[in-house]
Amino acid sequence: MAQNVNPFYEQQAGATKQNDNAKKTSNDSHAVTKRLHKELMTLMMSQEKNISAFPEGENLFKWIGTIMGPKDTVYETLKFKLSFQFPNSYPYTAPVVKFVTPCFHPNVDTSGNICLDILKDKWSALYDVRTILLSIQALLGEPNIDSPLNALAAEKWQKQDEYKKHVLDTYKEA
Amino acid sequence: MTSAVDYKGAWNSIKKVFPILEDAYTLYQLEDEPLLKNEFCEAIDFIKNIGLSKTIQDLIVSKIEQRLRDEVAPEFWSYFKKSENDNKGFKQFYNAVKSLYDCYKQLDHTISKLELFRQATQLEALVYNEKCVHDALRLILKATLLSQLNLDYQIVVMNFYETALKMEDAEENDGQCIICLQESLHCNCLHLFQETNRKLGDMTLLEPLVGQTLTNLIYSYVHAHIQKICKDSFDSSFISVLEKWLQNVVINWLRKIYCYTSGPNSEFLVDMFDKKLVNYLYNSYTKIRIDQLFNIIIEYPESLPALEDLRVCLPRTDLKPLLTKKLQKAMETRLLHPGVSTPDVLTAYIAAIRSLRVLDPTGLLLETVTQPVHQYLRSREDTVRCVVSSLTEEGPNDLAEELVRGEAVQVDENTPVDEDSENWETWVPDPIDAIPSKSSVYRRTSDIISMLVNVYGSKELFVNEYRTLLADRLLTQYSCDTEKEIRYLELLKLRFGDSQLHYCEVMLKDIADSKRINQHIKQDPEYTESDVPMSAMIVSAQFWPPFKEEKLELHDQLVTQMKSYTSAFETLKGSRTLCWKNHLGVVDIEIELADRTLNLSVSPIQATIMMYFQDKHTWELEELSKVMQCPPTILRRKIGFWQSHGILTETKADVFCVQEDLENKDSNIQEDIFVEDYESESAMASAQDQREEELQTFWSYIVGMLMNLDTLPLDRIHQMLKMFAFQGPTIECSLQELKVFLDRKVREHQLIYSNGYYKLPK
Repeated sequence: MAQNVNPFYEQQAGATKQNDNAKKTSNDSHAVTKRLHKELMTLMMSQEKNISAFPEGENLFKWIGTIMGPKDTVYETLKFKLSFQFPNSYPYTAPVVKFVTPCFHPNVDTSGNICLDILKDKWSALYDVRTILLSIQALLGEPNIDSPLNALAAEKWQKQDEYKKHVLDTYKEA
Repeated sequence: MTSAVDYKGAWNSIKKVFPILEDAYTLYQLEDEPLLKNEFCEAIDFIKNIGLSKTIQDLIVSKIEQRLRDEVAPEFWSYFKKSENDNKGFKQFYNAVKSLYDCYKQLDHTISKLELFRQATQLEALVYNEKCVHDALRLILKATLLSQLNLDYQIVVMNFYETALKMEDAEENDGQCIICLQESLHCNCLHLFQETNRKLGDMTLLEPLVGQTLTNLIYSYVHAHIQKICKDSFDSSFISVLEKWLQNVVINWLRKIYCYTSGPNSEFLVDMFDKKLVNYLYNSYTKIRIDQLFNIIIEYPESLPALEDLRVCLPRTDLKPLLTKKLQKAMETRLLHPGVSTPDVLTAYIAAIRSLRVLDPTGLLLETVTQPVHQYLRSREDTVRCVVSSLTEEGPNDLAEELVRGEAVQVDENTPVDEDSENWETWVPDPIDAIPSKSSVYRRTSDIISMLVNVYGSKELFVNEYRTLLADRLLTQYSCDTEKEIRYLELLKLRFGDSQLHYCEVMLKDIADSKRINQHIKQDPEYTESDVPMSAMIVSAQFWPPFKEEKLELHDQLVTQMKSYTSAFETLKGSRTLCWKNHLGVVDIEIELADRTLNLSVSPIQATIMMYFQDKHTWELEELSKVMQCPPTILRRKIGFWQSHGILTETKADVFCVQEDLENKDSNIQEDIFVEDYESESAMASAQDQREEELQTFWSYIVGMLMNLDTLPLDRIHQMLKMFAFQGPTIECSLQELKVFLDRKVREHQLIYSNGYYKLPK
């Protein structure tokens, strides 16, 4: 019986299905674009001097972020660049955030990967670029030494003078 | 040898029968000697016997050809001399044809005998493949004549027919023949004309010799006629008149000429001419109308008949592309330049919309032609203002009428509109050059206001401009009579929707509320009105457009009054207070001088000046400017107003004093100094100020992108802004404008520019 199906129709049905799927994703991506546009606008209008972010090029899903080192920490006066990669499922999935500027920090590895709970299992759709930037900025001043990515940094954290030297050296390498 | 004698005798008799073989023969001698039957038969028998019949025929034909070549044709063409006098051409051609015809008759006579000869000898060989030798003669005649064509002959032929045609066209005649200048009744010219045509027809020379010239003549005649009757008059339809004229005058005349053409050919020729001419008529008429189209549009709706004509003509001709091109060109040269004021451009544009809709109901033509107008209007700053003000203007006005007709504006072309299913029978598809992606329903239905709104593509802009104008009107009138405004607002709401005009509604409500609050406060026992009675216009900052900021310190007397009003308001409205706009308002003052009293309505700043001069008769400009906190330049201008009224005079440089007596210083009134233009100034922040605010938004984005991406070239910044910042109704920012803006930021040290890249300073 199944063999009697007109292959043309079958093909067509398959095609429409595919179309539907494409439509869905395009609708979704439209929602994401809208959300990212909105985030960009609030960020631009917020006039916050210490954090900032902007799409890298034509692609709205790739951003470059900037944070200033928090006051009264070894990172003060230093400027760090970060890269944001938003998935199509954003904001239901967290963006991939990495340090572009080399950063000596217990929770940042040498290739810039960050260990931060809200970027992993604690992610919620309520977070946005601004809150991510603020959290990372806060992380600089208050590292989580218990689960370090950079063991050396975790070790040196207690000796702030030496630690600062490392920070500056790493920073200079860039 | 008898045979030799026979040869000679036979040759002689042949020569007798065909005198053309004789050298001495002239075409003009009358050949009336009777044909000698016997001799003829003898000669024929002889020739037949020796089998020379074909040679003899060839001989005769070649003689005829020779005669034609050497005598007839040169003789005929010798008549065609260029002459100054048009009417002489008529006689020239007549005589030429007459002489030609005489020769032709002679030759034809010979040919008739040749025919007999052929029959007798049963000669089969054809002359030039023509079955009939007469036809052969005509062929030879035609060929010979055309081979010796005279340069001026067309002019002469033209003259001949032109005069005849003029005689035919009744309008040109005034009872007198234009050829012989005799009374029409005694004139023979028409007869001569007919005779000439008959002869030409007889020789089948009419079409080959005259046809082309005649065609040209008639074309130019028709063209001239159309031009004459359509010149500058658009208010009546000419198509049927012209067609009638063509049939009655031109075609009839042609029939008279061609009726002599032998055979069934004649009807066919005239019919062909008829078709060609009707087509030509339409073409010329359309072209003339196309040339006038701009004027026709301007004169719409008086020019409606002309437009209707054009609409009928366009499908019959192939001139639509020409129309588009010409009209665009005309618009460009006559409309789209700085010398034309915006209201005029708009009027023309509206007329164009209406009239082109008559021409092409699908709206495609309109879209193409008005594209440049759209672009141009977009580049004019005051377009929106003009549109909005004419929308709400009183008196007869296209736009206001359009507004009253009321229909929702469709800015979004994707809005599905139900097709008029009742009119499906009259539905016409879009022209082939239509862009299929655009909905034709949209094109067909959009009305004038929508089109104007679409110049900018956003309702918001229009609504904003309306809001500004409304605010201006409300503030300058200071009247609480808002009935008319509410009516307009309701009409606009029908078009633009409630939500868009919500702000304006609040504004009107503010006015009504102000009236009530004023009454309330005046009844308040706590509130005491000193010598300055005052009422306030209380507007909500949230909903009104931003006001122009001007600093002005009012006179103490007013300030106390305002304070007392404010406190009264605060008690009335609880947690709210008032924030005064000192420079806005109107003051009715009465000025009493030594010899005269003036009653005036002036602006607060002018009233304040007067109040200060009331305290002290002489003020230095600098001093007054400090007290009033108003820049000296502006203050001087405002004082100019009082100078022109002869109340203040400048006694020394920058020192002003009150002029109490007018009599003895009559000459000092400087009427021309400054007639105050305060009324025309808008109280609202100018478009430029608003633009500045928008640019400020862009600036935030620019800072954002430069902070993260370090350095960027101009076009990249522009591109990024276009992608990420130009959202919603914000107007775009051109590359040029952006450059000017960024250069300013560089001058202000907020930006660094090097090697074509911008970056933020450290």
